[in-house]
Amino acid sequence: MSDEEHHFESKGDAGASKTYPQQAGAIRKNGYIVIKNRPCKVVEVSTSKTGKHGHAKCHFVGIDIFNGKKLEDIVPSSHNCDVPHVTRTDYQLIDISEDGFVSLLTENGNTKDDLRLPTDDNLLSQIKDGFGDGKDLVVTVMSSMGEEQICALKDIGPK
Amino acid sequence: MGLPREFHEQCRRSLELDYLKVFYCWARGAALSVTSKILDSDLAAPEVKVCTAAMRLMLQILTWEFQYNRKGTKSINHFSAGVRHDNALTNRTDCILVQPGLAWHDVLISSGDTVWLSNLYAALRQKFSPQSSWIDSPIAVSARKLLVQFCSVTGTIFPSDSGQSQEQYLVRLLSGIILWVEPSDAISKEIESGKSGSEMLDGCRALLAMATVTTPAAFDRLLKSIRPYGTLTLLSTLMGEVIKVLISQNSEEETWSWEARDILLDTWTALLMHSLQPLHITGGGISLPPEGAVAAANLFALIVDSELKAASASAYNDDSDSDYIHASISAMDERLSSYALIARAAIDVTVPLLTRLFTERVSRLHQGRGIVDPTETLEELYSLLLITGHVLADEGEGETPLVPDAIQRNFGDFLEADKHPVVLLSGSIIKFAEHSLDPDLRASFFSPRLMEAVIWFLSRWSPTYLMSLEETHDRNDDSLLSRGHQLPQNSRKTVANYFSEYSYGKFVLGTIVRVSIITFTSYPGENYLQGMTCYQLLHALVRQKNICVHLVALESWRELANAFAHEKMLFMLNASHQRSLAQTLVLSASGLGNSEAANQYVKDLMGHMTKYLVELSSRNDIRSISQQPDIILSITCSLERLRGAARASEPRMQKSIYEMGLSVLNAILVLLEVYKHESSVVYVLLKFVVAWVDAQITYLEAKETAAVVDFCMRLLQLYSSHNIGKISLSLSNSLLSDAKTEKYKDLRALLQLLSALCLKDLVDLSSDPVESEGTNISQVVFFGLHIVTPLISLELLKYPKLCHDYFSLLSHMLEVYPEMVGQLNNDAFSHVVETLSFGLHHQDSEVVNMCLKALRALASYHCKETAAGKVGLGSRASDPRNPSGGTENRIFSRFLQSLLQLLLFGDYSPDLVGAAADALFPMILCEQSLYQKLGNELIERQANPEFRLRLTNAFQALTSLNQLTCTLDRMNYQRFRKNLSNFLIEVRGFLRTK
Repeated sequence: MSDEEHHFESKGDAGASKTYPQQAGAIRKNGYIVIKNRPCKVVEVSTSKTGKHGHAKCHFVGIDIFNGKKLEDIVPSSHNCDVPHVTRTDYQLIDISEDGFVSLLTENGNTKDDLRLPTDDNLLSQIKDGFGDGKDLVVTVMSSMGEEQICALKDIGPK
Repeated sequence: MGLPREFHEQCRRSLELDYLKVFYCWARGAALSVTSKILDSDLAAPEVKVCTAAMRLMLQILTWEFQYNRKGTKSINHFSAGVRHDNALTNRTDCILVQPGLAWHDVLISSGDTVWLSNLYAALRQKFSPQSSWIDSPIAVSARKLLVQFCSVTGTIFPSDSGQSQEQYLVRLLSGIILWVEPSDAISKEIESGKSGSEMLDGCRALLAMATVTTPAAFDRLLKSIRPYGTLTLLSTLMGEVIKVLISQNSEEETWSWEARDILLDTWTALLMHSLQPLHITGGGISLPPEGAVAAANLFALIVDSELKAASASAYNDDSDSDYIHASISAMDERLSSYALIARAAIDVTVPLLTRLFTERVSRLHQGRGIVDPTETLEELYSLLLITGHVLADEGEGETPLVPDAIQRNFGDFLEADKHPVVLLSGSIIKFAEHSLDPDLRASFFSPRLMEAVIWFLSRWSPTYLMSLEETHDRNDDSLLSRGHQLPQNSRKTVANYFSEYSYGKFVLGTIVRVSIITFTSYPGENYLQGMTCYQLLHALVRQKNICVHLVALESWRELANAFAHEKMLFMLNASHQRSLAQTLVLSASGLGNSEAANQYVKDLMGHMTKYLVELSSRNDIRSISQQPDIILSITCSLERLRGAARASEPRMQKSIYEMGLSVLNAILVLLEVYKHESSVVYVLLKFVVAWVDAQITYLEAKETAAVVDFCMRLLQLYSSHNIGKISLSLSNSLLSDAKTEKYKDLRALLQLLSALCLKDLVDLSSDPVESEGTNISQVVFFGLHIVTPLISLELLKYPKLCHDYFSLLSHMLEVYPEMVGQLNNDAFSHVVETLSFGLHHQDSEVVNMCLKALRALASYHCKETAAGKVGLGSRASDPRNPSGGTENRIFSRFLQSLLQLLLFGDYSPDLVGAAADALFPMILCEQSLYQKLGNELIERQANPEFRLRLTNAFQALTSLNQLTCTLDRMNYQRFRKNLSNFLIEVRGFLRTK
């Protein structure tokens, strides 16, 4: 049942492949899709036909999950699209360093120090303010296709 | 203007009764006085302007919404400012009825205005016709508009002589108007060569107006006094001409012929709907006069011809938006239903015509196979399928539609089933559908679009004809006969028997199922087609028990079920289609003989999916593999299938569906944890739980209930722990708003879950009471609300559905368990109060209504308890330490004030007054002294002594009229409702100003 025939083990990196193929017609709004080699969240799917008596094609509007840019793609609905492997991991926020990196506590007790803070002022201030207020913050880091970014934070009580 | 509303209403009344007619007479006088001068001068003369202005005024007066003449008096709408919907005028095919009442008879009917205006227009027409611009000159336009308006005069203005005087009146009008539209071919030629079409369009509008105010027979008679044929023939010729022009133009632009076609179609619809109505009232069933039927038949042939030409011409168009079936069906639906009405008016001719056209196209396909590009023929077949579907069957809209009356009545003499025209037509289409099973034929003819039309037709046709239950209801027909319905029963039975379970029905059903499977397996990615098969065709089939019995016995149905349970093929379908398919398959189990077989069937169908979920959730590496897109896809699909199955719960399969859910409960909690960041999976998880609990809770025994309730609470807590205080960060606004929408949907699902739990206290089919296991539903739900409420922000309450669900759950809880409110802690209590106060001022009257119900329940509970010497809501309602002090903390004093404020000064729907009275009455009893104080304040504020007196009396009457007493029983509630409504009618007129 687990759709083994979709597994793309030949993709290069051993273990987790970055993307999986999935039939375009099965991709729904709110799902993920790769457009122009960028991982996107699908915000709009519409279908049309190639000629009146032709086959259906799907028109996807996606938003790049990292930079928020809008991308579009048209795929015949019986063809396969690439779907990115998106993971999200929670870490406790330990420190924000001056040079724009954060220090995070992983589940097994190590620290992860290679993640940059977002450059957007608004996002940055949301993180910094919370941290500055002395709240205990858990950040959610989203990673896909070799990129990582903080995508959510959650207050779990005062420090 | 700062004047009371009462005053405005009086103005309106006095204008209508006293002045409108006078104004009209003045305008008429002015117009009449210049008539002779106009006829002698040219269009630039000042008299022409006078006449035009006068006619415009007359037209304006006739569009007045006459209210007082109809029933003598009409009460003022005191509760909200009435807005007249003037936009009704903007719709070009709308026809406004003018019903001024008997008082206008002398001015409008007997004065001969119509003759004067007709003559004036005819004279002007004669004089200026060489100038082509004349038709659109102001005087011509207003004269025509006024004439059309004259045509729509109806109602009590005519004496009750069974419509004779109205007919004479209309004949006089028609004799002038006929020149605008006849001879139609010459006129259309002139218009095509540059003449303005406005006169002709106004002529069509006049016909529409006449059709609206008369019966078909009377309508047809109108013209007979001046021409050798009837008005229906005229209408048919005229429309035929318009359609010819439409075909020849074939452009996308909206031209006069489009407009004319729409107006004329509306005219037919108005006429034919008339002819349908008396059937139910008189039982006779009036059809068109024979001449009219011929006219309709000719017209329908023309229409089909034009539709086919349009279809083949547009076959290669590639503007993808407009030619998509759902867009085109909904856009065409109205038009097609009008066509169907016309076709049914001459059903004995039109059904064979459709059969012939359809067979022709099919044989053309076969002949040209491999040689000619079939696209044009495919498009024609597509059109024919849509038209035929509308002609043969009505949309059921959830009910089982009957065979249309026209078909029942008109084929009396066909007793041999295989020659019955309807059987022939249906049969040829079904046979055609069967061709799609052949891979070669499918590849060459059955494009996704044509398949959509085939599926659409089958789903429209089968509820009416396939194994219809009518033949088993023959006994009921006796009662119809005794009421004078001398319907030829045989005809109906012939069609029904032909497609019944004893004859060809089974074979047709098998074909339909096989065609459905084909749409799933051979049209990958055609979501719309597959959706239509799932939602329309298969759903319609399993709705009927007698069909289910045969479905489960069919080999092809078993194939479908087997493929669904075990093959990956159907996992490629869109997830929501899989849900629907699961529902359909489970529902069909009701056709199995006993509950054991049904439960086993469901187990076999769903066992595979539950096993998969359980195994997956217990894997050690679930965390790492869970984020893979393929795993997410198959989990989503499995959950959607379970949800579909849960929705299909029926007593017969209840047990197996309960076990299905029970086996995955732990898996669900694991998955909720694993996918806490994957909102789309969280949503399907929640939705499955909601559907399952909702369907199962009433059947569960106490022990099972306790387990389910316990699970729900764990689920709520887990969800809340994941989401409370969480902030999404994203550069993209649309992703952020998406996140908000997702949250809204989750919360709505959680509220639905709580409402589903509430059901247990209302309907309980189990053998022992829930309390025997120590479960208290009200406590559980309040606890659940307490968990969910912090997640709902004011921002989220802007989603109307969430708002609605939230308030209905809250008001339900307060109504059924008011005693719980006294036990709430301060936080929770003030939350409830704030929410009610927010809801009371909500725009949605339904929300206000729910809040009022909740208040009534709380206040009357408190009243009754305190009267019995108990504490009631205790300190929540009155502060014993400081009984006269601040009103802020006392729930009823606070709401008494705000409710009075709303009732007296706010804007609200009159429907709310009853509910408001029910809430106000017990609150007044709870807070009598405050009520007195507020009333006195209000009276003192009135400067005008007359109003002050009226207000004082009204307050007096509110609490004393109709023998109102201080006990909370039904009688008193009713009396108070009456009193309050009188009170508001009396005082709002002067308290509210505008």
